[in-house]
Amino acid sequence: MEEKTKRAIRAGIILAFVIVVIGLLIYSRIVAFSMAPQSKPVDLRPLPYWLIPIVYLIDYFSHGTICLLFAFTVAGLIYEFVPKEAITRYMGSSRAVGYALALGMAPFLTVCSCTMVPLFGGVLYAGAGIGPAITFLLMAPASNILTILLTGEMISWEVAGVRIIASAITALAAGIIISRTPWGKAIEKEHQIANTASASARVEIVRPPLDERLWAALKFAGYLAKQILPFFILGLIAVSYVEAFLPEDIVGTYLTGITGILIASAIGGPLYTPTLVEVVLGKAMWDLGMSKGALLSWLMGQPYDMANALAVSRIAKWKVVLNYMLIAWAGSVTFGLLYGILSNSL
Amino acid sequence: MREVKVEVIGPEPPCMRCQAARRAVEKAAEKLKQAGITVNIEKTNIMSKENVQKYGVLVSPAIAINNTVKIMGRVPNPDEVEKLIMEASK
Repeated sequence: MEEKTKRAIRAGIILAFVIVVIGLLIYSRIVAFSMAPQSKPVDLRPLPYWLIPIVYLIDYFSHGTICLLFAFTVAGLIYEFVPKEAITRYMGSSRAVGYALALGMAPFLTVCSCTMVPLFGGVLYAGAGIGPAITFLLMAPASNILTILLTGEMISWEVAGVRIIASAITALAAGIIISRTPWGKAIEKEHQIANTASASARVEIVRPPLDERLWAALKFAGYLAKQILPFFILGLIAVSYVEAFLPEDIVGTYLTGITGILIASAIGGPLYTPTLVEVVLGKAMWDLGMSKGALLSWLMGQPYDMANALAVSRIAKWKVVLNYMLIAWAGSVTFGLLYGILSNSL
Repeated sequence: MREVKVEVIGPEPPCMRCQAARRAVEKAAEKLKQAGITVNIEKTNIMSKENVQKYGVLVSPAIAINNTVKIMGRVPNPDEVEKLIMEASK
């Protein structure tokens, strides 16, 4: 009995913390407190070089801390409570289910690099085949829960929503197209194995009590923060100089219209670091006059970054990797154009 | 002397969280040695055909005790692993 009350109290404390974090976010919404840094180029330009990043960082963290705290906490909770055994059970059952799971689950499972490449390999080997595996791989970085939350809070929820839909369609297209190509089929055949779990091997997941799961979720949130924040801060320092010194007329000339979309989608990939910096950098360039279409292309350009491509090429052949990068790039250009036209901001 | 086989399943090269999972298993194993249980720890590759064939798709880090996956996608604490191994050794 005493053990039980102790656990209940611990679970209660952690839940209270989570509720406070969510409450803070809602409160900041109600009082219309901006989550994005307020520094304008005019404020930053006259400062000495060494002071620019400091002022910008203080500005960023005085506004963005709630948002980061919320994003990490929610990502940790979702990762902990998403039913992983269900995914692994159904992933191999049929193609349609495979695609649906790849699209639906990728955003929640891939906040950690630990999961992405193994799941790609597992899906490819165990059943659903190369189509859903590619869909999963493309969907994962394009709209994982951390980037979506940050995009929504810092740029706008409209852009975040469009980003999810556009990357889902692109990922689905990439999966279906690649699974039809001869080289895609060849890889599938090479790796396909019958998923016949032997009688002695079983999966029986043990569920720890609620307080331990909640604590594990927070610990995972802390782990994510520790992984991402150092790079994020370095990225913010770079962003502060961009904000201060990138002239508006250059952004206005090169990052609007059709050229803007092409350039944004081309630099989005190689420049990508999986550290949420792209969101802040996108926001900075948007402030300087980048069009909405180019912004979307920029944000969607990441899945074909180098690190990702290298990891995949170890399993799949380079032809598949090339296909995958081309489709991702085509998707980012197409949706950039479409969104630019529809939202009247090309 | 009772023996228990524990597989720590993760990607190759091992990621941070899989290393943490392995450390938890090692700690538990040390304690169990005194109780007369030998724990054979194996690090296996989550992407190997053998593993996928045996257990299906997994989320790393995963821990299998005597060929049964008990933990998937999280880092357990040593006490919990100890309890699970104790149960399996009975």
